[in-house]
Amino acid sequence: MRIGVCLTSLVLLTGCVTHTEPAELFQLTAETPKHRAMQTRFFETPNEKELLSASAAVLQDLGFQVEESVREVGFLRATKERSAREYGQYIQRALFLVLSLGKLLNPVDLHQKIAAGLITRPLNQAATRQEVRIVFYRVVWKGDGQVDRQYIPPGQQYMEMIWDPEIYQQFFAKLSKAVFLEAHTI
Amino acid sequence: MAPLALRHTATHGAVGAALLCALLIQGCSPYESRHQNQWNSREQIWLSESSQLKVRAAQTRVFDTTDRRRMFETIISTMQDLDFNVELLDEELGIISGKKFIEAEQSQGTDPTYLLYRPDTLLLLTRNIHAWGPFQHRSNLVRFTATIRIRGESQLVVRASAQFYLQAVEEPGPYQQFFRALEQALFLHGQSVE
Amino acid sequence: MVGSLLLYGCSTPETPKDLLAPTDAQLKIRSMQTRTFDVTDRNAAIRGVIASLQDLGFIIERANEPLGLVTAARFAEPNYYDVISVTVTVRQDTKNRLTIRANAIYNNKPIDDPKVYQNFFASLERSLFLTKE
Repeated sequence: MRIGVCLTSLVLLTGCVTHTEPAELFQLTAETPKHRAMQTRFFETPNEKELLSASAAVLQDLGFQVEESVREVGFLRATKERSAREYGQYIQRALFLVLSLGKLLNPVDLHQKIAAGLITRPLNQAATRQEVRIVFYRVVWKGDGQVDRQYIPPGQQYMEMIWDPEIYQQFFAKLSKAVFLEAHTI
Repeated sequence: MAPLALRHTATHGAVGAALLCALLIQGCSPYESRHQNQWNSREQIWLSESSQLKVRAAQTRVFDTTDRRRMFETIISTMQDLDFNVELLDEELGIISGKKFIEAEQSQGTDPTYLLYRPDTLLLLTRNIHAWGPFQHRSNLVRFTATIRIRGESQLVVRASAQFYLQAVEEPGPYQQFFRALEQALFLHGQSVE
Repeated sequence: MVGSLLLYGCSTPETPKDLLAPTDAQLKIRSMQTRTFDVTDRNAAIRGVIASLQDLGFIIERANEPLGLVTAARFAEPNYYDVISVTVTVRQDTKNRLTIRANAIYNNKPIDDPKVYQNFFASLERSLFLTKE
């Protein structure tokens, strides 16, 4: 019983995260230039539509389904839905269940949606240079769980911005090949 | 004496086995067990090039025509024949996207939340509002995207990709069926890309 | 007594008369939320808004060119309990002037902290004038 309470409070404490002020979330951070550099390339071409069309094809090649396209502002969104189950989480869940003597059943990740939001933008007045910026992120939904008598309904979600450079490099390499143009870093 | 001890051991063994079973199956609700389990779910972010290679050829056809508008219209009508809801249509960029629900499994009774379930459109970042929908009903969702690109002076390249059951459709069969239907409607034969 | 309490709980609440009326609080923050820019290109301004929101780590949910509307949202990371959503509209007043208005909402409440809007417009200005050559 005491172990159960201990474990429960541990789990709940980890849920007590710091509160971020909204004003901070509207500020550029020290990381911003680095992220922008990773997510952006520019191409010497006036043909924005070709870049967008090729981007859609590249995203399709990467397994994404295009969900939204607003050509007038150069916006594309594509998503890829996959299973988010992880062996490690099940093992941890079983462990906690045993250690808490059946009181604690952690929700596990079940479903994820990996999304890409892409924007093209002319970089100069003459529009001979286009900037392509893509942002990858994922949203994960959890299943249900139980803490003592309290049922945790399914559907809890968390979101993660993807900062791994490989996916960005892979995307721009393919895009560069698709339009026969070099992708310049900013 | 001995039989009593044995019975104790047997009981303990049975309890232990039951507990083990419980542990093993508690992670395996019918929905969950049918979906891929893995060590690192983030690996899904990257695409495995090897599986892509084999399906890329099946997903792509080249047509000897420059009539983009007609190609567009025919793809849309083929999708409609296949009961897809066409959701995204961008003629200038050459993208068509749609989805449909198929009854791949017998549903146990009717679930009223199913009717309220709005599967997608936006990334809904909601606080404390648990989206009930996603799990049981994602199984039925098929998403389909087709892109049309110009190749050279006189050809169009059509590429179709589908997603079902939280996985990319990687068997060539469904794509062959789609292109067969498309070719019949177009009265044109599509060549595979080497 | 209990019965009447129950009855009270079962009736639809009366529609407040000012359900659709702007509140004083809203009027106060409207000026904070709005800025005018001497920019002629509305399309470039919309793209600038999207670029600055991406810089700030927002996810673009909706973009509509004819209406000049951009909607974006993000979690108040590292806290995944709170969501900030922003609706930005770009309107062309005259040939040389645009009005940009940003509505920021923290969970369900409109944000009335002026610093939030100052920070947003500071970031936006950077994006807008990046393309000026």
